[in-house]
Amino acid sequence: MTSQGGATTSGQAIAVEVNGTERAATVDVRTTLADFLREHLGLTGTHLGCEHGVCGACTVLVDGEPVRSCLMLAVQADGSSVVTVEGLAEGNAMHPVQEAFWESFAFQCGFCTPGFVMSAVALLRENPDADEATVREALSGNLCRCSGYQTIVEGVLAAGRKVREEGAVL
Amino acid sequence: MTDLIGARNVGARVKRAEDPRILTGRGRYIDDVVLPGMLHGAFLRSTVAHGRLRSIDVSAARELPGVVAVFTGEDMAALSTPAQAGQTIGMTQVPGMKLPAVYGLATDKVRFVGDPIALVVAESRYVAEDALDLIDIDVEMLEPIVTYADALDPAKPPLFDELADNVAYRGEMALGDVDGAFARAARVVTASISVHRHQPVPMEGRGSIGSWDAAEGKMTFYTSTQSPHMVRQLLAPQIGVPMEQIRVLSGDVGGGFGLKNTVFREDVAVAVAAKALERPVKWVEDRMEHLAAGGQAREEMADIEAAVTADGVLLGLRMDNKLNAGAYPSDPFPGAMFVNSLATAFQGPTRIEGLAATSTSVFSNKGTYVSYRGPWATGDFLRERMLDVVARELDLDPLEVRRRNYVVRGEPPLAMLTGQPFAGVTTRECLEQAAAIVDWDGFRRRQAEARRDGRYLGIGVASYLEAAPGPRVPGQLRGGGILGDETTHVWLERDGKVVVVTQQHPHGQGHQTTLAQVVADELGVAFEDVEVRYGDTDVTPYALVATGGSRAATMANGAVLHASRELRQRVLSLAAELFEASAADLEISDGTVAVKGSPATSMPLGELVRVVEEEPGRLPAGTDTELKVTRVFDGGEGGWSGGTHVCEVEVDVETGLVHVDRYVVVEDCGVPVNPAIVEGQIRGGVTQAIGAVLLERSAYGDDGQFLASTFMDYLLPTTTEVPNFEIHHVDTVPLDPDVNFRGVGEGGMIVAPAAITNAIEDALATLGVRVREQHLPPARLLELIGTVPAE
Repeated sequence: MTSQGGATTSGQAIAVEVNGTERAATVDVRTTLADFLREHLGLTGTHLGCEHGVCGACTVLVDGEPVRSCLMLAVQADGSSVVTVEGLAEGNAMHPVQEAFWESFAFQCGFCTPGFVMSAVALLRENPDADEATVREALSGNLCRCSGYQTIVEGVLAAGRKVREEGAVL
Repeated sequence: MTDLIGARNVGARVKRAEDPRILTGRGRYIDDVVLPGMLHGAFLRSTVAHGRLRSIDVSAARELPGVVAVFTGEDMAALSTPAQAGQTIGMTQVPGMKLPAVYGLATDKVRFVGDPIALVVAESRYVAEDALDLIDIDVEMLEPIVTYADALDPAKPPLFDELADNVAYRGEMALGDVDGAFARAARVVTASISVHRHQPVPMEGRGSIGSWDAAEGKMTFYTSTQSPHMVRQLLAPQIGVPMEQIRVLSGDVGGGFGLKNTVFREDVAVAVAAKALERPVKWVEDRMEHLAAGGQAREEMADIEAAVTADGVLLGLRMDNKLNAGAYPSDPFPGAMFVNSLATAFQGPTRIEGLAATSTSVFSNKGTYVSYRGPWATGDFLRERMLDVVARELDLDPLEVRRRNYVVRGEPPLAMLTGQPFAGVTTRECLEQAAAIVDWDGFRRRQAEARRDGRYLGIGVASYLEAAPGPRVPGQLRGGGILGDETTHVWLERDGKVVVVTQQHPHGQGHQTTLAQVVADELGVAFEDVEVRYGDTDVTPYALVATGGSRAATMANGAVLHASRELRQRVLSLAAELFEASAADLEISDGTVAVKGSPATSMPLGELVRVVEEEPGRLPAGTDTELKVTRVFDGGEGGWSGGTHVCEVEVDVETGLVHVDRYVVVEDCGVPVNPAIVEGQIRGGVTQAIGAVLLERSAYGDDGQFLASTFMDYLLPTTTEVPNFEIHHVDTVPLDPDVNFRGVGEGGMIVAPAAITNAIEDALATLGVRVREQHLPPARLLELIGTVPAE
């Protein structure tokens, strides 16, 4: 939709691997990565909470690094590998971070959730031994208005234990 | 499954039914809805606070490729009827209440920064926003009305030409024996206490999609709301479509906190556009729109004279209360009405004998005042701050002052000044338990030691009572009023599943989990076999307010409990006929009805449905085979929610930074259906209070310019500002034979602002700091401490 109309814009072809599948598209150069994922690919799990890079709801992994997809253009992701919240579970088996969040009653309304899930995956892949202070620091760029954060932090710590004690793969 | 026999779902930390879809990115929020042929809307909004709209030129915008239409206030006036905000709840009949008629878009004037002036509808949101830049408007600037003083100055221009001034409401109230209280008082303690403007800020903002079926004359309206039927009811007269021809659909809602119990002017404009264009029109606001125009709250103040005994007991008070309602009355709850709650919510668990109040609400060139999590919370804030003011004045400890002021269950007074009985109150138990948990006296020793090291520790305590739903008043029926009774449908399906249709509209509260827990226990089916449906006004029971007012715990669980019991009786009597047994000898467990002790004589519940539908001849002629139950619940005997919060802080007097060291909650919400969900509600509410006190402010300049339109200006608490919470539950006093679940959604946000500000004042008391406001960011604390001069 966003590629239509608009006298000041022009299309550009991009190829992005999204959740393991190669996707080719022509997008307006001004299309954000978030809008590309949501509107072109129908991956609506990535949420937009502020569109100015503060709330972290739109966090996805680009080449393994957490990125605010509202601040990145789709054309900048050309040639990259992107993982969204839809790309974590295997069939009906949730990802260990999702599982741990479920067991911890991490979230309420769920709008910020995908961003926290992706930020937590990025953190734990880097440092599965992260302690509470490290987790709180790492997640301080994601806003949640419902939970008071405690259960989210507990969920990340629980996911870390799954890696250490149960050999869970992130 | 045998190991689960006897295990109950109610009271257990049952994992949420909502979470698998939410955690895997399969939730369906408003912006996830895509309809064929859907267009996208964007609003042109005022950049000035107050002005007369001289002209608007949309011709260039209309010519931009991709733009389908541009609607202005003139179009709204032609295509819609203006809202009489508050009419639905009788506010237009309240003496002293001024409710100007309002269109979806500004017509004659702009009245706040963010006021919607035009709606561009285009093939994409990108193009719609491009077109906004091409609209030319000419505005004659008018003097901005920002403060209470501005609004009450007769020389300043009224926001609404049809009204003489900017007074939105003025009223008087007197409860109990005020003069007697002052006559008996040893002294009168005065304070002027204010609460700053801040706002709910759900992570998902507002958004709607209108879709008009011209052939059927039906509007389907998708929206992010707490109350789908409210949207239908309030849109109807404005867009000229009967309520019965409007279907509202709402899926996952990314938070509401009271704000989404409003039908917004943008909703009306979107519906009007969809109807005029006969194509679906979507509008999803961005964060700047949300912060400026989504709705703001609080901004209230009170000048208080309190009649106090020599030992610190509040006997009565006189209040002069004010509320800044912003530019437009919100619908159906005009902000101006909440000023009365500063007085009515003041008493809480105290024994005051009389209260008199003058209350004034004003219009101003600020965002519209909306409900926010405990919209009467300022009344509680005033009480719990005044108790500390009195303690300080009489050199008493705030904990001791509360012991002297809070009611004791079973001792007079047995009712509030408003007539609500103090039945089952546990405030004193909560207070003592909280004091013991934090070792209040031990803290005083630690505080003194820290002070010798130049560190400023403080402790604050506050308690509240919330009528969620409140005890039944003897001789009165429960129900009625704007929130009314609760209706639910419960039925069995052939696959053995139980379907619950609730009038609630959860937006984080986990009702798909908690209601299923209640049904599973009452009916003897697996939790996983209960499906809770909501969010479609074609099937859900009518409710003006679906989820709000902390009502679900009692009202929805109660309705579901009684409906499930009735369904259980129906199953048993049908099975008794089929088994030729006595219903008293039957039991239901694991979704199967069987003769007790004789499991061979049994039938799965789904099979019973099949027999009733396909082989009714197996039952005696005339048997009542209905397996769909509708129950209305009036709240039963009800009961109070309440509790005590204690906050410990450390204030860095060099930087003004406050660190919350410890936060203890002792809560009475009856029987928690799911303790994990209850605790989540409490933590979330207290976190919003931490934000309110330490960070958040919907700031305006003297010129009425909005200064907090991004998350870099409007600061929300993050993981690094919020502590871990210690939550405890007292033994509750049941009032109802069956339903003792009570609401817990608002309590944290009601009581915590006082606990936190009390702690901060306590930390700085030896410096002579006296706190009379709620917003205490570092810059303000440094002013109060005297490090920097006050502005």
